Amino acid sequence: MELFMRFLIVSLTFISIFFSSTVFGKGHLTYGVLMKTLSNPFWGAMEEGVRDGSKEAGVAYYLQAVESDQAAEPQLNVCMTMLERKPDVMITAAINSTILLPCLKKANESGIPVVDLDGNLDHDIAKKAGVSIDFTIGSDNEAAGAQGADYVAKVLGRNASGPVLVIEGLSGNITGQKRARGFANRIKKIAPGLKVVASLPGDWDRMKAANITNDILTRHPNLKAIFAANDGMALGAVEAAYSAGKGNDIIIVGVDGNSDAVKSIKSGRLNASVAQLPYLVGKRAVIGATASLNGLKMAKFQFVDTLVLTKDVIENNTHPLMKFVK
Amino acid sequence: MFLKSIRLESLYVLGILIVTMSLLSPYFLSISNFLNILLATSVIGILAIGSTFVISSAGLDLSVGSVMGLAGVAGAVVMNQLELNWIFGILACIIAGGIAGFFNGQLVTRAKIPAFIVTLGMLGVARGAALLLCDGKPIYGLSNEFLFLGQGRPFGIPFPVIIFIVVALITHYILASTKFGKHTLVIGDNQMAAVAMGINVNRHKVKLYAFSGGLAGLAGMIFTSRVNAGDPTAGLNYELTAITAAIIGGTNLFGGKGSIIGTFIGALIMGILQNGLNLLAVQSYYQRMAIGAVLILAVWFDQINRQKN
Repeated sequence: MELFMRFLIVSLTFISIFFSSTVFGKGHLTYGVLMKTLSNPFWGAMEEGVRDGSKEAGVAYYLQAVESDQAAEPQLNVCMTMLERKPDVMITAAINSTILLPCLKKANESGIPVVDLDGNLDHDIAKKAGVSIDFTIGSDNEAAGAQGADYVAKVLGRNASGPVLVIEGLSGNITGQKRARGFANRIKKIAPGLKVVASLPGDWDRMKAANITNDILTRHPNLKAIFAANDGMALGAVEAAYSAGKGNDIIIVGVDGNSDAVKSIKSGRLNASVAQLPYLVGKRAVIGATASLNGLKMAKFQFVDTLVLTKDVIENNTHPLMKFVK
Repeated sequence: MFLKSIRLESLYVLGILIVTMSLLSPYFLSISNFLNILLATSVIGILAIGSTFVISSAGLDLSVGSVMGLAGVAGAVVMNQLELNWIFGILACIIAGGIAGFFNGQLVTRAKIPAFIVTLGMLGVARGAALLLCDGKPIYGLSNEFLFLGQGRPFGIPFPVIIFIVVALITHYILASTKFGKHTLVIGDNQMAAVAMGINVNRHKVKLYAFSGGLAGLAGMIFTSRVNAGDPTAGLNYELTAITAAIIGGTNLFGGKGSIIGTFIGALIMGILQNGLNLLAVQSYYQRMAIGAVLILAVWFDQINRQKN
């Protein structure tokens, strides 16, 4: 038991050293930024945005993250530790909608405003827990799903009919649910002939998405389109579809716009990805927090645009948002 | 040789599942769907085979999910960044897995740290190393030769299924009919007796962990090829599914008993369940409950049967 405790303490120390990075700026204000994980290009781009935003706003920040985007309780511990450094604002991307609430309540009590990065908190739940969120900034996930549906309807035509598969994220995860719901609701409205025959959890796992694709192709060999709640799963679905010899018959759309998706779109395999712009989210979070500290009234929800990346959009490279696609 | 080592209980569960799914979904009973199920089971199945060897010797390997992630990234790095031939990619996957397993074995036998702790530690180390190796970003876009291993279909049979079945046949023979296999079971049954019999227990255990790691590497290779990317998050939580498959297949969690054909059936049960629930488009929350319930049910049947004897 003692050995285990020692092992635990040593490994936790290593983890926190490994995953914490401190950046000092010149400003008087210092923000605490808590992300999910840095082991992901999405959060890497977000970090870049935070860095540029804090330069622009003239503030300093320190940034921490945990080892994976499922390490909920460790994130609460890191959050508590960050409060000890008395930041002027806490900008947090909570792993789920409740885990950070005790920490954020404590922040509020010491007069530290809370910014919800990437829309992971539920304002009603937070209110009940006594947490006041200054504002939420992130992509509108339902709108992103709807954009995916718009794209599918545009390619197949609004009068198209046939089965459509939706691959959700981790079961119970709100982001994946919103994207899936946004897609399903919009496709029903604008192309009622396209029926969502299954909406299944891929757990953000490429291979599970590939397996689901194979399973649904068994039942619906004439599958028309697949919408996956992130690019990793969409790419898994693409590989499965090509391996089954149906790559050219199915329109496959992901969400995120990461570099792998861009590569796959360029090579004509993945059809489209609804790109989030994490760089802009990070940047605007810091600038918004500063404006709010200076007394500006911020709207509770600040949505950053999402952009449908297709081969044309990438190759033309004329869309004004393209420069924020990392 | 096969029939003797199949436990009837897991066959009952398999039979009940197949009948139920056939009744519920008209798409279930077909050769193409059966190949689908085997394809979806291949990665977990190969991990579960490694786990069967380790658990039969009264050990435990919690690191296989992370190790397969590390192995896949290692293979992708060798092919895409070092620009070596795809054969080196395959070797890199298997060797990376084998090395991680070798360290597990050395720590368990020489440092005398419990296997649970060693492999739990390796779970973290291997995942961290995988992320480090590719800077947290999946390595996308591999050569066509390599992709054939996961996506090719010679004679209409997905290549991973062929690998899975060949591995299962060879390892079944090793565990059931060779000295190596018998020693594994003796060590798991009674380590003192194994020492008394003159078995070099430590060396044997190192081999077992290295073997389990190497199989995890092979699983990582299949994963990487199937999804066309060396993904540092590949195999997250797969160790639990692999252990579940081995247990459903009749491997004794405390060692001394285990068969590959049983594990094969165990993995197939989980694969069929997942496939059936997908065909029926069952909501995810029920899926998780169903998989948990089948684990309990299968082990319960086993208990009843043992009490009867």
